[in-house]
Amino acid sequence: MLQLDSVDLPESAERVRHEVREFLRAERDRLPRPCSDFASGHDPEFSRRLGERGWIGMTWPKQYGGGERTFFERYVVTEELLAAGAPVSAHWIADRQSGPLLLRYGSEDQKNRYLPPITRGESYFSIGMSEPNSGSDLASVRTTAERVGDQWRINGTKLWTTDAHRNHYMVALVRTEPPSENRHAGLSQLLIDLRNDGAAVRPIRNITGAEDFNEVVFEDVVVPADRIVGEPGNGWKQVTSELAYERSGPERFLSTFRVFVELVRAVGTQPTADQAAAIGRAAAHLMTLRRMSISVAGMLEAGKSPEVEAALVKSLGNDFEQALPELARSVAPTAPVAEGWDRYRETFVESLLNTPAFTLRGGTREIMRGVIARGLGLR
Amino acid sequence: MDTRKLLLESAERIFADHCDKERLESAEGGAFPEKLWGQIEENGLHMLAMPESGAELGDAFALVQLGGRHAAPIPLLEVTLANRWTGDAGRFVSLGVVSGERIVDIAWGRRADAAIGIEPGGEALLVEVDADIEHRVNPSGEARDSIEIRQPRTLDIEDPAWELFALGRTAAIAGCLGRVLELSVQYVNERQQFGRPLAKFQAIQHSLAIMAAEVAAASRAAGSAIDMLGTANPERFALEVGVAKARVGEACGIVAPIAHQVHGAIGFTHEHQLHHFTRRLWSWRDEAGSERYWQERVGRHVAGLGAERLWEFVTAPNSLRS
Repeated sequence: MLQLDSVDLPESAERVRHEVREFLRAERDRLPRPCSDFASGHDPEFSRRLGERGWIGMTWPKQYGGGERTFFERYVVTEELLAAGAPVSAHWIADRQSGPLLLRYGSEDQKNRYLPPITRGESYFSIGMSEPNSGSDLASVRTTAERVGDQWRINGTKLWTTDAHRNHYMVALVRTEPPSENRHAGLSQLLIDLRNDGAAVRPIRNITGAEDFNEVVFEDVVVPADRIVGEPGNGWKQVTSELAYERSGPERFLSTFRVFVELVRAVGTQPTADQAAAIGRAAAHLMTLRRMSISVAGMLEAGKSPEVEAALVKSLGNDFEQALPELARSVAPTAPVAEGWDRYRETFVESLLNTPAFTLRGGTREIMRGVIARGLGLR
Repeated sequence: MDTRKLLLESAERIFADHCDKERLESAEGGAFPEKLWGQIEENGLHMLAMPESGAELGDAFALVQLGGRHAAPIPLLEVTLANRWTGDAGRFVSLGVVSGERIVDIAWGRRADAAIGIEPGGEALLVEVDADIEHRVNPSGEARDSIEIRQPRTLDIEDPAWELFALGRTAAIAGCLGRVLELSVQYVNERQQFGRPLAKFQAIQHSLAIMAAEVAAASRAAGSAIDMLGTANPERFALEVGVAKARVGEACGIVAPIAHQVHGAIGFTHEHQLHHFTRRLWSWRDEAGSERYWQERVGRHVAGLGAERLWEFVTAPNSLRS
């Protein structure tokens, strides 16, 4: 019914893999303790080095600083960085989502202005979707932008905006027309300069103790008219077009991959039967998910919009990355910690505390299941 | 690939004509489906794995997958592999598992002239079938007979027999899982309660979404392992089969209960067709190595490689194919 075709990575992608591994080996000593969650590890210096290698904006046109390479090559770069636990969060959203959005809907001026710094690893973006009263029900956003002369005046609050306190821009979904019968109408996307436009950014501490996401408050914040992305009123269509890119990548099942690595290290070469079975089970899930994800990359490369297939990957992938620490602790105790197992325990705890976010960010588990059900013709 | 498509289209017609509820029950009652098997033989579909057939080995497994979709009550996989290994499709030779002094789980052994017994890492033993064969069935009522190993002939084969057998079961499970999803989607669209189709209830939608994800994963896992046929690296092939069998086996334990839940009591009746498929899922996941067996085997290999080579193992390219 929902079929994910067999796709092999081309030789060019395997060549890139080799280059990324060499690069990571050379970088190893200056990187922090690995974490394979794409949202942790904000390191502008590292992002700039990736930019120098041409590994940001890889699929974009050369005239905007891109590399005109395939989605498969980009896929390999992203999975290698995540698996190694490299700090990629600074440029991640700009590379995955905001850049492609601007490429598709932005004006020529916007593309020339915003895309090249992204590809250099110097310009970072946040997603301005959720609000205090708009989570899964995104179309209910209340932040307004009112056209006043040649400016937009913005009022409202964005919430859970990852890295707004250290990124440069946000693409905000706002209401530019009053609500009407068609709730998807009257929405638009605006570029916000997080450092200069006057939006108030307040970090929010999460359960791990980290301050990654924020509240962003707009009180009569005024931006020039040319910050509109695409057509006024076309915001809903633009936002949903990002989803296949946002939901099908390796970051949807690799977030706790380092727990797997440390589990294998901790149990050693002579695992018990239960430990071997847990490792084999995790490998079977991971390898299958990866092939499903590559299959979706193949659809993106072919110019398709595989929204339902992407939801399949995200749904299964999130369940896997959420279950991985649980699987590990079922065969390798995390307390009291065995001698030499400190690294396993630290990785386990860090990952475990982040697991609730996996099935919330980028569309909740429940939203994903709804998308899949629609694909099955049930809604 | 085009020839595979044509092959599957004509096979689809044969299976659709011969695998209705009545004939599935008749086979379960012990009557070998001679008409269906006659069609298989007439079209040479039991010879696809023989080198002289000119087919790709993957074609034979794609056909087995289609057979799984229809719960075809014939030893298609077993005879296909046996013909490849004996080189003689003129005799009806089936396949079972060596267990001590016996070959057990021989698919339709009672109908066979001879049976080949295999085991992980062991030799393939050919034994003539005689009147002493014991009739047994698996939980889905498929004939799984047993004979004593007397005057065995050791077959000289290069294939990894156990892994090819497991790949075949994997393919059949993937096909059967797809059918169970289709039956479930169809049922929830038809069945009305509280004045609307079950499909309109969010709880039902989410159950089917879980099912669809498992089915998509199983299908991809089976397809990837079939793609590895002919790889130059037998160890890698065995592990790929293991990954696939473990993954599809796990899907069975999730998909079958959801299918029954959304079908309600009617799906628990013998009269309904659902059980022909769900009982096969429950049977096949245990045949040719359960999830646990393959998980341990893959896990021991990965542990042996060590933490620093885990990712390399996960990402090993399919260009290992010869």
